[in-house]
Amino acid sequence: MNDLKEPKKEGHLEEISYDSEQIIVFKQAGEEYGLHIDQIKEVVITPNITRMPQTPHYIKGVANIRGNIIAIIDLEEKFGLKDDQNTSVKSDEQCYTLVVESEEFKVGILVNEVPNTLTVSTKDIEDSINIASSGEVDQDYIRGIIKLKDRLVILIDIFKVLNEKDKDLIVGKNHVD
Amino acid sequence: MKSKEQEYKEIFLAEAIDNHVELNKLLTQLEKKPDDKSAVDAIFRITHTLKGNAAGMGFKDVAEFAHLIEDLFGGIREAKISLNPDLFGTIFKSIDVLGQLIEAVRDNKKVRFLGIKTKLGVILKSTGKQKSATKKTQPKRNSLGKPKSKKIEDTPKQENSKDQPIEEADVEEDGIAKNKVAFSDLVQVPVKKLDNLLNLVGELIIERDRIIATSQSLNTSNEYARLNRISSDLQYSVMDVRLVQVGFLFNKFHRVVRDVAAVENKKVNLTLEGTETEIDRNILQIISDSLIHLIRNAVGHGLEIPDERKKVGKKEEGELTLKAYAENDAVFIEIKDDGKGIDINKVRKKAMENGLITHEEAKEMADRDIALLIFEPGFSTMDDVTSIAGRGVGMDVVKKALDAVVGTISVDTKQGKGTTFTLRLPSSMAVKGTLLFELDQEEYAIPLSYTESVVSLYRSEIHKVGNRLAAVHSGQTISIVFLKDLFDSHKNVTGNILHRTFDQLHPEQKLDIVVISHNGKKAGFVVDKLFQQKEIVEKPLSKPVDKSIFFSGVTIMGNGNACLVLNVAAICNLIFSRNLSGQGKITY
Repeated sequence: MNDLKEPKKEGHLEEISYDSEQIIVFKQAGEEYGLHIDQIKEVVITPNITRMPQTPHYIKGVANIRGNIIAIIDLEEKFGLKDDQNTSVKSDEQCYTLVVESEEFKVGILVNEVPNTLTVSTKDIEDSINIASSGEVDQDYIRGIIKLKDRLVILIDIFKVLNEKDKDLIVGKNHVD
Repeated sequence: MKSKEQEYKEIFLAEAIDNHVELNKLLTQLEKKPDDKSAVDAIFRITHTLKGNAAGMGFKDVAEFAHLIEDLFGGIREAKISLNPDLFGTIFKSIDVLGQLIEAVRDNKKVRFLGIKTKLGVILKSTGKQKSATKKTQPKRNSLGKPKSKKIEDTPKQENSKDQPIEEADVEEDGIAKNKVAFSDLVQVPVKKLDNLLNLVGELIIERDRIIATSQSLNTSNEYARLNRISSDLQYSVMDVRLVQVGFLFNKFHRVVRDVAAVENKKVNLTLEGTETEIDRNILQIISDSLIHLIRNAVGHGLEIPDERKKVGKKEEGELTLKAYAENDAVFIEIKDDGKGIDINKVRKKAMENGLITHEEAKEMADRDIALLIFEPGFSTMDDVTSIAGRGVGMDVVKKALDAVVGTISVDTKQGKGTTFTLRLPSSMAVKGTLLFELDQEEYAIPLSYTESVVSLYRSEIHKVGNRLAAVHSGQTISIVFLKDLFDSHKNVTGNILHRTFDQLHPEQKLDIVVISHNGKKAGFVVDKLFQQKEIVEKPLSKPVDKSIFFSGVTIMGNGNACLVLNVAAICNLIFSRNLSGQGKITY
């Protein structure tokens, strides 16, 4: 199950100290996003996705991953980073699925390429309070910004993303009076 | 196969041995902390249960002996008997004897327990005396030469110790055998472990189907015959483990009936039939509340008070029958009373007042369908509210529970003669027969328990009726719904949602329609393409898509794809609630 994350962890073993964190980095619409390694279960090649009616646009459907049926989410759509025209074109490229798991949730996130691991020291993670918000979107799920020499990684809390208000929108209830 | 008698005995033994172990544990606890009230309560409770079980099974010795210990702890609980080391010795010995008596049920050995029984009797009697003595004849007691007994509790203690030496020898002679560790022939397993096991078997079946499907082209189907058989056997064995007899639930209803009857001043005779019918444990759990509701309702609303019954020439005692039987893959549970029956006209009137049906519908609907309206949310015919039933909540719980397990209910009522509710339940939740169909290039499954037939109609045979669609199918008008329109209904579309696809079609277009029936209502779902029937293992949907109103779960196909399972009950409720409330436009 953890075959993908275990060896990588070992590779970075020497670098791990008390104030460092392991981050899985993946690209979404040209920007780099990071997830804490604890939230990730595995990375698989995206299986056949069954579309599910009456779900928000960013839920692509459900898929069978090792006998577990989980919802597949397109973060680019969730974050509003995708315009309508390239929606259909892009979906072919999203050939990997990042399986994230908590006690409450187990979902798959579509990514374009195999994510990398990154070990950063805690001091490199900057609080994100200073980022201007559009006011519409609640940006609680951004845990911080990781600044490296020439890179900028947005560290997100995937479960906060899923727990957002529009979670109620997922399927039904609001559409039916 | 083992006889039912034998099976019951084994279950009794398993429970009794557990009880015995628990008693020993609690008693040791109590010895360390004699003022532990909860331990005393627990012992009292356990011995009480044990007594009840033993009496029910006809093991007189165990029942009598457990009764004595129960009484003893009853006394301790009410502080009539106080605990001291001597008494503990006696209690431990009596628990040992109790253990032997339980063992004796299995191997029919003779256990001599009269000595210890008499001793317990003496202890109890002395407290009885003590009670009356302290209450009424305090001076007399003083005259007996114990003027200094300050506390009530002191006296029995003394009496106990006085009795002790006399009885001691007797007990030793009885020859209490050395403590043996008893092992039960039954294993108790948490349901969660069983669920897990069933899930794994489900996956195994899916995997098997996948392998067989991929290798079909290689013409090696015989290769897998054994695999097929073994995995099927495994699946049925696991399902079998989860089956319990409905009697376990039914037997609890004696009390429910008694309590309701007492409050309502009614006389009820409860008869249980087919208690050995087996059903999946989870299903039984889900519908247990519903059954209680139906029973309370039958006693509260169905049966008349004795005077009334006499007037119409019935026995004073109302007859309530709970009957279970298996047929095909389903288990039927009947709740039958010989009361006054449901007043259909009253239901009809009430349903109109509550806006559940329109005036026209009220005229057209058959009595049988009208009776089912009592299961609609917010319906109650009882004008006065009693604590037992009639708050207008409750009966819709029955419907919800049935929808959850894909069951149905029907009502058969005759004015003055009584009412019979018949619940049709699947015997196992593990495997569901479904019909597969395609819609918008996705495969879906619809449970066979709801599908009535499959028909093919031309578009021209479907008519617009107001804002909906209808067609005549075998002499009956049924509502037609394009599932596609229903699924797309949240997208911002203008115009009448249910007519959308219909309007785009050519009149000569042939349409595949699945006719479903749910609680007496029928509807036809238009699908793109029909596939074969398939037995599936349904899994629940996980977060964040678990709140879907259209799908009850999901299954994995032979090709590894996920396939959504339609929640027919919910879809029907959605379609028909609109129908019933007579609202104009569908607004999502």
